[in-house]
Amino acid sequence: MTAAQPATGHDHVVVAADVNGVSVTEPVPTRWTLAQFLRDRLGLTGTKVSCELQVCGACSVLVDGAPVSACTYLAADIDGRRVQTVEGLAARDQLHPLQRSFVEHFALQCGFCTPGFLMMAKALLDRNPDPTEDEVKEYLDGNICRCTGYEPIVAAVLDAAKRMRGQA
Amino acid sequence: MVLPPFALHRPTTTAQALSLLAEDSVPYSGGTELLLAMRMGLIRPTALVDLKRIPEMQEIRTDRSRLLIGAGVSHDRLATDPLVEQHARLLAAAEREVGNARVRAQGSIGGNICFGEPRSDVATVLIALEAELGLANSAGERSVPAEEFFLGPYWTARDATELLTAISIPLPCAEGVYLKFQTVERPTVAVAAVRRPGGDYRVVVGAVGEVPVWADYPGVGEVDPVDLVGRTSPVSDLTGSERYKRHVTEVYIRRAAELLAESER
Ligand SMILES: Cc1cc2nc3c(=O)[nH]c(=O)nc-3n(C[C@H](O)[C@H](O)[C@H](O)COP(=O)(O)OP(=O)(O)OC[C@H]3O[C@@H](n4cnc5c(N)ncnc54)[C@H](O)[C@@H]3O)c2cc1C
Ligand code: FES
Ligand code: FES
Repeated sequence: MTAAQPATGHDHVVVAADVNGVSVTEPVPTRWTLAQFLRDRLGLTGTKVSCELQVCGACSVLVDGAPVSACTYLAADIDGRRVQTVEGLAARDQLHPLQRSFVEHFALQCGFCTPGFLMMAKALLDRNPDPTEDEVKEYLDGNICRCTGYEPIVAAVLDAAKRMRGQA
Repeated sequence: MVLPPFALHRPTTTAQALSLLAEDSVPYSGGTELLLAMRMGLIRPTALVDLKRIPEMQEIRTDRSRLLIGAGVSHDRLATDPLVEQHARLLAAAEREVGNARVRAQGSIGGNICFGEPRSDVATVLIALEAELGLANSAGERSVPAEEFFLGPYWTARDATELLTAISIPLPCAEGVYLKFQTVERPTVAVAAVRRPGGDYRVVVGAVGEVPVWADYPGVGEVDPVDLVGRTSPVSDLTGSERYKRHVTEVYIRRAAELLAESER
């Protein structure tokens, strides 16, 4: 370790959290981001990292139901909380309605942005099960997709919302 | 890119937090600004003092004639809280459009104003609403009007060993309009035009210059966009040249004043 280590002994914390329904208790360096912890420690590589500026949304995950940018969020902060990542969406081999809808609407091409869009869409539908098209666009405006042109994504979210309300 | 190493303290009371603060041991709330600045090497604290486990920093309540907001309250809560909607509608409206949904869930109102980033929606609105900012250090407390808090880019009246504890907004709250022009993550210019409880008017222009500027007028018809633009200090950047920004600012001041006048008809 380098001389830049802080003098105090607080540069690791033990994190006890629920990640996709599994209890995890792990010591982590304070400097680790949640994205690092999910990908490098837990092997949950569905969460992507791109801009590291909180603008692209590829790293979106939910902590106690609220969407956060795992690229700029300390792993230490999930202590005592519940984390949901894209790996937790499907129930065994049964895709989540959002995932099914993304497939049916061709709402992905390369797929790099998809985990982030799915988690943001889940956060939206959990708080607003019947959003308007404008509300979907507004809520997802912090996520970037280079491939689809967004329209299929918005259509997929609206369709999934309808399905989840039991109307389709 | 990885963050440089640091110690993490997690106090549960304001007093504990204050005893841990020092020049290189800094307050940490949502981390949306702080972690970015650390990753870029702009700030290199040896310790972060996490404020998120201090219950009173998360409170929203009314106390006689004031709305009190804990410094740790997130943008998303301010955007959706019934008390804020009832008493400070302009703040709720501005909060709904801060950044993106993740920044709103993670970022706090206190972190926003203490960072002193010039393109803050919150600063503009708090000056319009004549908020008072409660600061504390281990020696005591003081209250600074929002008008006097923002001294320059990334520079505020807060001392390094002080915490912003709460934002206090006098009630009844000024009412009016908040308009902003925005093409990227943060506003290019933002204008709050309000009728104050005393019956006169205040127009605040934020985001476009180094610090917000404002002026008070006896009547909404007296708002002078050219004069107000003259007090701002826009700089040319990716979102536009200085000349362009001055033009947009003038247009937005005029529109905000017109909307306010219309809303009173
Ligand atoms: C992509 C993006 C888009 C954004 N868009 C907008 C926008 O449109 N409009 C807008 O207004 N803002 C915008 N912001 C800014 C955002 O509002 C702030 O980043 C956020 O509110 C900061 O709060 P935080 O809790 O994350 O602060 P932190 O990052 O934890 O802290 C920020 C600074 O404040 C200090 N600090 C924090 N809390 C306290 C306290 N209680 N007392 C003393 N010091 C304290 C910290 O030491 C640090 O220096 C944007 C940010 C991002 C990343
Ligand atoms: S990688 Fe986190 S928002 Fe882009
Ligand atoms: S599918 Fe390629 S970035 Fe969205």
